[in-house]
Amino acid sequence: MKDVVKEPYKYGFVTDIETEKISKGLNEDIIRLISSKKEEPEYLLNFRLNAFKKWQQMKEPNWAELGYDEINYQDIIYYSAPKQKEKISSLDQVDPKLLETFDKLGIPLTEQKKLTNVAVDAVFDSVSIATTFREELAEHGVIFCSISEAVKNHSDLIEKYLGSVVPATDNYFAALNSAVFSDGSFVYIPKGVTCPMDLSSYFRINSGDSGQFERTLIIAEESSSVSYLEGCTAPMFDTNTLHAAVVELIALDDASIKYSTVQNWYAGNEEGIGGIFNFVTKRGKCLGNRSKISWSQVETGSAITWKYPSCLLLGEESIGEFYSVALTNNLQQADTGTKMIHIGPKTKSTIVSKGISAGKSKNSYRGLVKMGTKAIGAKNYSQCDSMLIGDQASANTFPYITSQQQNSEIEHEASTCRISEDQLFYLQSRGIEFEEAVSMMVSGFCRDVFNQLPMEFAAEADKLLALKLEGSVG
Amino acid sequence: MQIIEKIKTNTLLSNPTEIQKICLEKLQSNPLPNLKSELWRLSNKSKFLKFLDFSLNGSCTNFEFPYQNNSQNIIRLIIGENSQININGENYSINQLNNEELIAYIKQNVSSFDQNENWSDLLNLCLSFEQNILGLRIKGKKIPPLEILSHATHNSINAKTLILIIEKNCNLDLLQINLGTENSSLSQSTYFCLEANSSVNHGMVAYGENKSNLLNSLNVIQKQNSEYNLGSLHFKFNYARFEIRIKQSLGNAKTNIKGMQITKNDEQIATYTKIEFNGPNGFLDQINKSLADDKSHAIFEGSIIVPKIAQKTDASQLSRNLLLSNHAQIDTKPQLEIIADDVKCKHGATISQLNEEELFYMRSRGLTLAEASKLQLGSFFKEIISFIPVPKGRWDLLNKLLKQD
Repeated sequence: MKDVVKEPYKYGFVTDIETEKISKGLNEDIIRLISSKKEEPEYLLNFRLNAFKKWQQMKEPNWAELGYDEINYQDIIYYSAPKQKEKISSLDQVDPKLLETFDKLGIPLTEQKKLTNVAVDAVFDSVSIATTFREELAEHGVIFCSISEAVKNHSDLIEKYLGSVVPATDNYFAALNSAVFSDGSFVYIPKGVTCPMDLSSYFRINSGDSGQFERTLIIAEESSSVSYLEGCTAPMFDTNTLHAAVVELIALDDASIKYSTVQNWYAGNEEGIGGIFNFVTKRGKCLGNRSKISWSQVETGSAITWKYPSCLLLGEESIGEFYSVALTNNLQQADTGTKMIHIGPKTKSTIVSKGISAGKSKNSYRGLVKMGTKAIGAKNYSQCDSMLIGDQASANTFPYITSQQQNSEIEHEASTCRISEDQLFYLQSRGIEFEEAVSMMVSGFCRDVFNQLPMEFAAEADKLLALKLEGSVG
Repeated sequence: MQIIEKIKTNTLLSNPTEIQKICLEKLQSNPLPNLKSELWRLSNKSKFLKFLDFSLNGSCTNFEFPYQNNSQNIIRLIIGENSQININGENYSINQLNNEELIAYIKQNVSSFDQNENWSDLLNLCLSFEQNILGLRIKGKKIPPLEILSHATHNSINAKTLILIIEKNCNLDLLQINLGTENSSLSQSTYFCLEANSSVNHGMVAYGENKSNLLNSLNVIQKQNSEYNLGSLHFKFNYARFEIRIKQSLGNAKTNIKGMQITKNDEQIATYTKIEFNGPNGFLDQINKSLADDKSHAIFEGSIIVPKIAQKTDASQLSRNLLLSNHAQIDTKPQLEIIADDVKCKHGATISQLNEEELFYMRSRGLTLAEASKLQLGSFFKEIISFIPVPKGRWDLLNKLLKQD
């Protein structure tokens, strides 16, 4: 079994491209420099400086079930961008090397790949490279661009909403991101519009010594809806790279946002050397009545994952959903889950979390369900299943449940299992190869979550899991 | 806080025993638990500090059992009553541990204590005077049911310690009663060692009066093929904290726990359990029920730890909660930590109110709302109460609980 050839991390190449980097380290001058490079207005610089001040007073959290070497925040480059002479208006002007990179990654960036009907915003190191399908989206009034562009062209929206869901002082990593964020995606769906295509952003870390700090902001006005996909890869370096992102979603009355992630950052090698430290704060605010925010994620990469996509359910009858598959192998560690904060009446939430731990990895689910005093008639259902492969891996479940409202219902269940010998034997006796049988069973285990993913993601996720687990059973 | 001040300045005891010295030393530099840690963060701080705000009382007041003993068949003991216990029956014997045995046993336990996790036990041993430590070695079969009582006295903090060594092949039914009285704090620590092939049915009933506080800690070590069944009930405490730590030291043991806590007014009652499987083939079935009314707060935190060695463990944990008022709060956190792969572990938690459909059904058949709720509560309580062993009948627990409403 161990002899099965392991497919290496296929996104591990480095693109040799001229980049503009600033010097290592973090201080007020660096922040001013980033801000001036991006020609930002005053309020944003203050936002950054304020966050930085708070960050300096904060302590790195240590409550998660994660063990990693201390991060030297002064040894990181906080801004790195591929050198480009001028602002690009069409894809033809993008450095062909960059386009090649995204081609290698299978990202439909060029217009020929229009058929896939997904609009893409590609973020390379710190800067957004290109956003496709702009005109078509603009016809519907949808704004889809990089955050830096949004700061210039839609400053009012940025000023109003940036930091309104995840305040700059929310937590250590959110504060760091608020101080130094470089780019990210901005989406605005106007009233009554159903976004005509899936939106997608693609994040790529290329250099080994720069961190990536992107920020995503999605605003769905009344009765609008959007589906957003996010993918991540990074080259293989034997140093750890820091990724601290913030994602903010805002759904007004009757709006719905679906946010799907396939995270496949480089996870480090079998000895746990290298890999991305992934500290992400994702939060959605169901501000309007009957609004809905749905998170679905497939987490397979990163040496360390620290991520809790959450929903603040404020509006009456608003709905929060969280579907997650987290897979850890070798020496990966993941501490992930969600928070469902029920504030408004008749709010509903569903949590389905599937954790798979193989090798010597550590996989923890940590989730909070809270019913506030006004959440009359609120309901929550959570299900967390863990699958253990091999006797070196660990699976933990930490559900925090709090209720202050008698007219609410909370149900939580969790189970742990392994791939049963009987099932394997059954499949093998019917001529299915061992490896395939394992992958079938893992895929079956995750079915509830995959069903929630957009189709092309679901297929990719299935393959990704099979790939990641190769050689770990036996 | 006077207790803490005295520990800090080392003026708590004029003539500490060897055990007290060891525990005082462990607490001296850091006499309070870390109130921000997972184990303590939900504890109401002012209530907790109130617990410590009494003067220490080591003397033993005479205490009458709250009911008559009309059966010869029950052995009753009150912790703190100073008499040498040596009971020898036809097939059994109950002997008090001598001082050396006692000290050795406690020392062995204390050596692995963590300041934060075992804070309640350390405090208990600091405060527990020699006469308030009862150690028993129990052998044999067909032992008459045992009743052991701890009680608090007015306006003081009392500490009682119970150590039971259950020898091989021994079967025992035990009801332990912790009684609080008005304005009092009781610290009770219990240590069980179940040798191979033994079995214990343990009932733990604790209730207080106005403004009584309780810190109740239970440490159980189970050897192979032992069976430990615990039925517990806590109610009527201004502040109560029940900590259960069970270790199946070599696996192959069975544990059943059914616990319940009922909070009213502005009470806070919390249950913390930690079950460790240190060998293969362990079994656990745990259910914890909470009921919170008025402005009260009920807490349950349970953790199950299954290391690599504990293959074929079968563990389940269920937390069922009823929230009966808009101002009450329930927190629950059933937690699994698993490394072994060939295990069956599951947990579940629910928080809700009384089932409306069931109420409607009963009312449509002529019951009043009050009667119907009582019936439903009765069935909620009964599952736990029926698990508390033999002498429970006399305590008439179910009526006591329902009458409270």
